[in-house]
Amino acid sequence: MEKDKTFTSEGNGISQAWNPILGMGIQDSELNRNCFFNPNCEDQRDLFESALSSIVSSPVSSHPGIPIPGSADCIVLRELIGRLGSICNSSEISPHNSCYNTPLNSPPNLNLSITDHQIQGNYHPIPPAPFPTDPGFVERAARFSNFGGKNESFKAAGLGDSMEEPSVSETGTKEKSTNRRKRKVVPKGKGKETQSSTTISAKDDKVVAEVEKGESDAKRSKSNEKSTEPPKDYIHVRARRGQATDSHSLAERVRREKISERMKFLQDLVPGCNKVTGKAVMLDEIINYVQSLQRQVEFLSMKLATVNPRMDVNMEALLSKDMFRPLVSLPNNVSPFDASVQPFPYGLQSQINGMIPDGPENQISMNPLMAAMHRNSITKPPHIDGFGEASTLWENDLQSVVKMAIGQDQPQGFHGQMKVEL
Amino acid sequence: MSPPQQPSSTNPNSLKIRLTHRFLHNLNNLNKKRSNLDNTQIHQRYNRVKLAAYASMAHVVGSRRAWSRAILWKIRNRKVSTRHKRVDHKPTNHHHARSIKRRTTNHSNPKREYVDPNGNSGQEVKLRKLVPGVETMDACGLLDETADYIKCLATQVEVMRNLVDLFSTI
Repeated sequence: MEKDKTFTSEGNGISQAWNPILGMGIQDSELNRNCFFNPNCEDQRDLFESALSSIVSSPVSSHPGIPIPGSADCIVLRELIGRLGSICNSSEISPHNSCYNTPLNSPPNLNLSITDHQIQGNYHPIPPAPFPTDPGFVERAARFSNFGGKNESFKAAGLGDSMEEPSVSETGTKEKSTNRRKRKVVPKGKGKETQSSTTISAKDDKVVAEVEKGESDAKRSKSNEKSTEPPKDYIHVRARRGQATDSHSLAERVRREKISERMKFLQDLVPGCNKVTGKAVMLDEIINYVQSLQRQVEFLSMKLATVNPRMDVNMEALLSKDMFRPLVSLPNNVSPFDASVQPFPYGLQSQINGMIPDGPENQISMNPLMAAMHRNSITKPPHIDGFGEASTLWENDLQSVVKMAIGQDQPQGFHGQMKVEL
Repeated sequence: MSPPQQPSSTNPNSLKIRLTHRFLHNLNNLNKKRSNLDNTQIHQRYNRVKLAAYASMAHVVGSRRAWSRAILWKIRNRKVSTRHKRVDHKPTNHHHARSIKRRTTNHSNPKREYVDPNGNSGQEVKLRKLVPGVETMDACGLLDETADYIKCLATQVEVMRNLVDLFSTI
C-alpha cells in the first residue's frame, strides 16, 4: 500500500522524530512514557508502522494485511499519543498552544456522525485505547511519521493533490480547496521539515486531527508563514488550503458544514428540491412546504369534521383490540347481523349501527377501517361472518373492500339495524 | 397491545401505523368527551380534530423532539387554561423561549427582509414560527427539528387523507 510505503520510508524519521518530540515541551508524564517507549521504538518500528498505517491511513479503510498491533508497545504508543492529544484537548492551553475548545464538543461522535470517518473504521479492530481523541492521536501519529520528512514519501502517500502542494507555491492559494479525506500527512510533514524542531512542541499540544470533513490542509502554507500552527477547534477540523485557519473561522466552517449537511437531508424530504441549490432558496422551499403541510392538515381536519360527524368508540375498540395483531381475529368482530352474543364485537356493532346515521354503511365502516388500519401492515384474509364474499377477499385497497362490503349489505337488508340510533 | 413506542421513527410504515392509531384514538376521545351536534358546530369540531391531529403527532413522537414537546406542552396548557386560570407549569426553557419570542417580535417592518439582532435572516425567523418549539435553537438544531417535523407532518397528512377517503366513501 502506499501508506505502507510511506511508513516504511519514514520509519527512520519516526524514531528520529521521537527524540525531538521528547525533548520538546511535553509534560513529564509523557516524557517518562516516551523514554520508556523510545528504546523500543526502533525495535518495534515495523509494528509501529503497521500500527500507524492501520490507524492513520484514512482513505484505506481496510488494511487486512496489516497486522493489528496488539503489542504493549503499540498500546503504549497509542496511549502516549492519546495522552498528548488529551493534553491539548483538556483545555490546557500551553503558551504556544492556541487550541480552542469550541462549544462543538464531542469530537469522536461528531467525527462519526459527520462523515464516514475512515479512521473510525480503522479503529475498531484496534483495542480502544483510553484516549479522548482518536483523531488527535491519528493526527499526531501522522505527523510523527513524517518528521523524517522525505519528499518521496509524500508521493508515495498517494495523496494526490496534496503531494503537489510542496511543489506548488506554499502560500495560501485557493486552488486546492477541495475537500479530501485522505490523511494530510504530506503537507504537514513538509511544513514540519523546515521547522521540525521548533514547531514540534507547538504542534504537539495542538489537536490537529485527521480531518473529519476531509478538508485539505492549508496549515502548511500557514506554517510557512508562521512558526506556530494555527489553533484548531475541538472538533478537529482541518482548514482548507487557502482558507483562514483561526479558530473562529474554523468553528464557523464546521457550523456551516453541519448546516449544509442538514440542508441536504432536508432536500430529500422536501419534494422537488433536488435542483435547488443555495441555502436561501432551499429555506424558502422548506418554509413553503411546511406551510402547505400545515394547511393540508387543517383542510383535512375540516373535512374529517364534516365527513365523519361521530366517530365513536368502535374505532377505538377496534384499535385497542387489534391494533397490531394480525387481522385474523378481527373478522369475528365484524358481524353486523350476528345477533348472537358476542360480547365485545356485537357491542361494537351496535355502536356502529348507532353512531353512523347512514344505515348500510355502518357495517362497512369496519371493513374499511380495518383496511385502513392494516393498510400498511400485514394483510390477511378475514372471514367475516356477515360478509360472505367480502370475507374471502381481503385486499389492501380500501375502495375495493368498501365496495364489496356495500355490495354484500344491500341484499341482506338491514335487519341488523335494529339499534340504529342517530 | 400497543406497539413498543420506540421503533425507529424513520421507518415510515411504523410511524404511519402509530400515527393512525393514535390519531383515531385521540379523535375518539375528543368526540366522546363533548357532545357534538352533527352540523351545528362544525368549526368547533374542526378545531378539535386539528388539535387531535397535532396531539397525536406529538404523542407518537414523544418527548424526543423539541417540537413535540412544545406541542404537548401547549396542549396541556390549553387544557389547563380551559379549566381554570392558566397555571405556569411551563418548563423553564419554554418560558425562556416565550420571553425571547416576545422580545423579538417585530412590529415595525413586518414584510421587509428582517434580520434579527442575531443575524438571522427573515427566513429562519419564519421557520421558527412555523415549527413549534425551536425558538431558542441554533440553526443546526432548527434544521434538524424541521426535518423531523416535516416527516411527521407528511405522515400525518397521509393518514388523515386515508381517513377522509375512508369516511367519505362509506
